Amino acid sequence: MLTLLRRRAVSSVVPLLVVVLGVFFLARLTGDPANLYLPLSATPEMRAEFAARNGLDDPLISQFGDYLGQVAHLDFGESLRTAQPAAEAVLRAFPATLQLAGWTMLLAIVGAVVIGSLAAYRPNSATDRIASFLSSTAASVPDFWIAIMGVLVFAVTLGWLPTSGTSGAAAWVLPVVTLLIRPFGVLVQVVRGAMVSALSAPYVKVARAKGASELRVVFGHALRNAAAPALTVAGDLAVGLVNGAVVVETIFGWPGIGKLMIDSVLQRDFAVLQAAVLLTALAIFALNILVDLCHALLDPRVRQRAAA
Amino acid sequence: MLQKATSEPGSTTVRRRWFALLLRDRFACAAALVLVLVALCAVLGPLLAGDLATRQNLRAPGRPPFGLDHGWAFVLGSDSLGRPVAARLLTAAGTTLAVAVPAVLCSLVIGSVWGMWAGYHGGWRENVSLRVADVILSFPSLLLAVVVLYVFSPSAASIVLVLAVARIPVYLRTARAEAAELRSRLFVDAARTFGTGGWATIRRHVAPSVLPTLLTVAALDFCFVMLAESSLSFLGIGIQPPDVSWGLMVAQGRQELQSAWWIAFFPGLAIVLTTVSATVLASWARMTTDPGQRWREGVRHSGWRARRSRGTSTEPAPGSAVSEPDPTTAPGGSRPLSPEQTTAADVLVVDGLSVDVHTPAGPVHVVRRVGFSVRSGETLALLGESGCGKSMTAHAVAGLLDPVAEVVGGQVRLDGEDLLGLGPRARRRLAGPGVAMVFQDALSALNPVLTVGTQLGEPFRIHEGVSRRAAKARAVELMERVGIPEARSRADAYPHQFSGGMRQRLLIATAVALRPRVLIADEPTTALDVTVQAQIMDLLGELRGEQRTALVLITHDLGLAAEHADRVAVMYAGTVVETGPVAEVFGKPHHPYTQGLLASVPAEQHRGSRLMSIPGSPPDPGAVPPGCAFRTRCPMARERCATHRPALTGTGDGRAAACHFGKELADA
Repeated sequence: MLTLLRRRAVSSVVPLLVVVLGVFFLARLTGDPANLYLPLSATPEMRAEFAARNGLDDPLISQFGDYLGQVAHLDFGESLRTAQPAAEAVLRAFPATLQLAGWTMLLAIVGAVVIGSLAAYRPNSATDRIASFLSSTAASVPDFWIAIMGVLVFAVTLGWLPTSGTSGAAAWVLPVVTLLIRPFGVLVQVVRGAMVSALSAPYVKVARAKGASELRVVFGHALRNAAAPALTVAGDLAVGLVNGAVVVETIFGWPGIGKLMIDSVLQRDFAVLQAAVLLTALAIFALNILVDLCHALLDPRVRQRAAA
Repeated sequence: MLQKATSEPGSTTVRRRWFALLLRDRFACAAALVLVLVALCAVLGPLLAGDLATRQNLRAPGRPPFGLDHGWAFVLGSDSLGRPVAARLLTAAGTTLAVAVPAVLCSLVIGSVWGMWAGYHGGWRENVSLRVADVILSFPSLLLAVVVLYVFSPSAASIVLVLAVARIPVYLRTARAEAAELRSRLFVDAARTFGTGGWATIRRHVAPSVLPTLLTVAALDFCFVMLAESSLSFLGIGIQPPDVSWGLMVAQGRQELQSAWWIAFFPGLAIVLTTVSATVLASWARMTTDPGQRWREGVRHSGWRARRSRGTSTEPAPGSAVSEPDPTTAPGGSRPLSPEQTTAADVLVVDGLSVDVHTPAGPVHVVRRVGFSVRSGETLALLGESGCGKSMTAHAVAGLLDPVAEVVGGQVRLDGEDLLGLGPRARRRLAGPGVAMVFQDALSALNPVLTVGTQLGEPFRIHEGVSRRAAKARAVELMERVGIPEARSRADAYPHQFSGGMRQRLLIATAVALRPRVLIADEPTTALDVTVQAQIMDLLGELRGEQRTALVLITHDLGLAAEHADRVAVMYAGTVVETGPVAEVFGKPHHPYTQGLLASVPAEQHRGSRLMSIPGSPPDPGAVPPGCAFRTRCPMARERCATHRPALTGTGDGRAAACHFGKELADA
């Protein structure tokens, strides 16, 4: 297990560095913050003073060096906008995103396992065709439109649910359902495909030859074998959610990391942007390890390979 | 076949066949129609709508939809600036496609060429390419989009750039994986040996096989790109006014959601219709290019037809080649096919068993009126070449047929009880204690993720309802019985940790756990070394003696049958052609096919003489000739053989053959 962890860590370092580097330089290409934070009539002296105060007057390379040095000391700089530590803003936004992503993935996975298995049980039956059509529709609807229509129907017209906010269970319904639709659609298709091939495997025949009930065949024998591809895809989908569900966060006023990132780009708030990207990159790294652990838990052959 | 055909885009017949296949699926047809319509809108929209989409008309703001008195452009209402929604939708179709199509094409071309190059060469080129893909994918894509759009200012061109770059890894990975797999295949190797250059090989051998997959990916990706563009436009960082795109229209409609729902509703609907159509078409394409999937597709229709017609008639399905009077269903009713008297000692009696496999071309009769019987403690070898229907017979007896196959007639009696008439629950109760089965490939027949102890204990858990602990103890006993050393500790191991011979022992242990009355062993030793083969056969023999099990040994190996079976039933083209005690049948066959089989086995007494082989090959199960199925390869065939199918008739003590000249051969 430790070898696996180490290998993962080593192979993740390069992409992580590239992302940090990329964000650092790309963000600075978007424009000079002085244009936003100083009045239009600002003199060159004022601009120079602003740049010096925020460490923006050094060559880019040395700025990056300084930044890395600070990060090594867990100093992520200060927000240009609020003058608060960037880490604070990021840590405030992150739990909201994580909770939203967690609930969404949990519901999507449970739903997809049930629907996908049902569809795979009799390939090309009516159930299968309905499930396939609905899931491919779900996988390709625009979430922003679903969100707006949801608000129109359930919040504006019926008044059952609030339009925004995070307080109370009702406030979670629309954001979670909106976010859930696409991962659910994709996962149903993956689970169905994997279950179709697992259910046609010889060991399923052997289980039937032992007199196993169909429930035992599907959930005791086939599902664990079909879990691996679904787990991989679920991991990728979760990465997308952790990266910030910008659209949903924007529509429902959810104070998450995606909204924070976009706002920081718009505001040229480099320190916050960098801290947010770094934190999500680390979270994605942790998530990948979790997925690996689940793979090992499900399949003894993976455990053996990891130990080797 | 089709997959190969698509690689030759020049051929019109191929295109016509695709078109015919498309027409057969109403769903895919509708999807294609929607996409064509959207494309037409995109092309003709600007001509039709002119400047209606952007011309403000402040006297007609917020007109509700479905009114026809202001011209077609207002049929879907107007927005707060009085601009007609329908006209804006048409114009926006153009903008949307103008972003999505170039973006998909760019990433498709760059990504797949790059991926094939990386996969074909392997080594560092592959590694570096995959790393690059990782980096692009791990970059938060929306963030990338926002940043790039800020650097280059939002415009259609920069959106195309962003989306194309973000999607390149998808094609790169797919193309790489497929090319790397092809790299190890023979025909690519051969091309290399002939000195064909890298690019030429990729173009001629790799690209055609990879292309269908990539096109399916592209169709799905089209949805993704469209959704990404509309999300960006919705967020205000994509298409900018005065241009229109569907996503932008939704964003504008959001402001007036409460007063004028239609402004946001219709453009969203347009997006949904387009993306869902693309997805439906993509999954249809995947289904059509994948031969395995296509086959299943056909099964659905014919299976349904077959189920409907069954029960109402027992005559052969329409289109069946059997037109001559059928000897086995001659007047006198359904006499048991086997001429041997079925005695009380017969545990298993199979009688007139017929199995059809449903294919798009109609049902194929893979097993045709097969009959045999086995006594307890006896071994019957079901002998035949691969494809003769012996495995299908076994699966039908055990009730383990795949959904594509179906029993269409006959009986399977276990101690007098017809198994085919039982419901699934009653059938399950007999699976294990009644009929058990040993499978051919022990590795795939054992569940890779469960310990062998769990799998061996399962019969006890299911049928005797014992606790997990007790089941495991019984499993260990079983493992000891079949000769697995250190059974107690090995019970917690997984199948992949055992050798091939040990796995086959485990599989046998599972089958005999509940002391079955009938044990069917389907080629139990084919995957094993010769020495291990002997051990496994000895074990089966011991267990048969110990438990008084009736053993049905399915094999293509005459030696195995000769050594281990008491009686033999020889199968050819889905029927039993000869049965009898094994020594007598092999000593003096009464059917020309058995003769031919025996003559083709190298043996001590034939040393020096020429080894014979049966000319020709067995008929395709879908095209068994009328009359005697063997006549095209038979040295004795006469006119009669072409018109009359020989029935299995007695030719001596306990023997029978399905040949018009069986008696002559017996008396010769």
